[in-house]
Amino acid sequence: MDIRVFQKKDGSIVQIIDKEKMEDWPVELPLIFIEYIKSNQLKSYDDNNLRKEVESYLDEVLNEVAIPRLIHLLESDKEDKILEALIRLEELSKKNIDQMEPIKPYLTKLTSLKNEEIQNLLEKISDRFDREEKRKELATKRKLMQQKEKDFLEGKISSEEYAKIRKEYLLLRG
Amino acid sequence: MAKKPPKKEYDLKAARKLFEEYQAKRKETKKVSLPPDTIEVDDLSRNQTLNRLYEAVDALIEMIYATGRPTLEMPSRTASNIIWDEENDLLLLGKQVIRKQFHSLASVADMTRMMRVAEVVHELLVKDKHSTLRDVFYQDVEIYGEQKNSDKSIEDIASMLYTTRNATHIIASAKGLCVGRLRIRDENNIIDLEKFGSGAWAITPMLDKVDIIESDAEFILVIEKEAAMRRISEDKFWKKYPSIILTAKGAADIATRMFLKRLNKELQLPVFSLVDSDPYGHYIHSVYLRGSKRLSYESPFLATPDIKLLGVLTKDLDTYNVPKKARLDMKPMDIKRTKELLKEEFVKKNKKWEEDLKLALQLRKKAEIQALSSHGLEFLSEEYLPEKLSTGDWI
Repeated sequence: MDIRVFQKKDGSIVQIIDKEKMEDWPVELPLIFIEYIKSNQLKSYDDNNLRKEVESYLDEVLNEVAIPRLIHLLESDKEDKILEALIRLEELSKKNIDQMEPIKPYLTKLTSLKNEEIQNLLEKISDRFDREEKRKELATKRKLMQQKEKDFLEGKISSEEYAKIRKEYLLLRG
Repeated sequence: MAKKPPKKEYDLKAARKLFEEYQAKRKETKKVSLPPDTIEVDDLSRNQTLNRLYEAVDALIEMIYATGRPTLEMPSRTASNIIWDEENDLLLLGKQVIRKQFHSLASVADMTRMMRVAEVVHELLVKDKHSTLRDVFYQDVEIYGEQKNSDKSIEDIASMLYTTRNATHIIASAKGLCVGRLRIRDENNIIDLEKFGSGAWAITPMLDKVDIIESDAEFILVIEKEAAMRRISEDKFWKKYPSIILTAKGAADIATRMFLKRLNKELQLPVFSLVDSDPYGHYIHSVYLRGSKRLSYESPFLATPDIKLLGVLTKDLDTYNVPKKARLDMKPMDIKRTKELLKEEFVKKNKKWEEDLKLALQLRKKAEIQALSSHGLEFLSEEYLPEKLSTGDWI
């Protein structure tokens, strides 16, 4: 099978390459492909069911092709191929670091390699992971902060408790 | 000031019906079975081609050890061995073979050239590189003498390996362009063919590096002329009518035909052609339809047997009131070519096509696609094409 066909309610279709055909692709490309369809094409499908079906197929590609292939490479000793893949992954990390979460532990293992270019790229990717983690933590804290502010104004919590949470939030925000 | 009449709306009903039929047929699509008296050629991957090359060389070495008089065997590509497969509408090679011998003055030059080409093919496949026909010639001008000799040896090697020339990684320059509702992978890049502004994606001859990754098109339009394609493209025809548009800028080159074949086969979409209303335009359509005689052994990978001739038909000149001054007189060569086309089996089999060519002979008139622009710049994309695709007025 070369193509997966997704039907729209109005009878029109969207055709997307079958995951089996990605076996010969450069190892980082399936991940880039997923990101591409999610960011550029999904919004153009004016049919919610279709969007859900395509998203589910993209998850299949992620779990069955993109991640296993990357892990296989990152666990190998092919430094030149790892470098090639990391260059593209670093680009991807600028757009969607979340998508790289499943390969994070394997990237960490690469820190033992002595190749300077690989280390520079790993550092950049790692910084993005850290920043993303901090952004998420801050978002959670901000939400909590808003709730506590409301509670404080309503007299549900003490000024000490409010001050403590406020301090933690400001420290995190930097 | 007079009020402009409202634009007509077209539903592309006939083209949509054809699209639905193709999609319904997708489930039952099976491999084309070729007649028993023809040879089967495979479009091989790099490793498969390398293996076939190694097998051929091993057989040659064994022959040297066994008899000391090795020969190379390949399908004959002479006219007498070209067969028209009526069922699949393809030109194919029959089972006649020719043998080239090392110990023969008549074939020693051919053999030497073939061995040199085999060496180049081996290097290209091992390194996963591509080379043009011209590059191959310049790699050993002394051996080949003229490029026609190296071109012939390349085709000999491909047919000896029972594969396509592209599979040997020797490619011809490509000149085709493509735009529309299509996303592809070209090596490490994802390319959106809707995002070329006023330009288009230049079809690469290295199609082994290309994959079709996403499309919501419902038909494919092949246009003979680049100018007509740019006109339609500028009007963003494919935005209103979900389609993929391509041109080979005149005669169809291998890469454009191969890419069209892949689009048609993988996406299962109907294909329509828009060519000049003259015998040369009809000939171009016929090459997309059933392949050329010279490359008949590659026909299953190059021909699009279900392509429909949308226009410009001779009868369209009256139907669409093409002004008399935009109709040109057929020259003696046009008349000769039209008569030749009428003798072709694939034309005789298609009554509508035969009638249109006979009408051209009767009227002795021809016209270019651009003649339709006499009704206005947007006439082609806003009226002529949508109307024909709605009414099913094609051959």
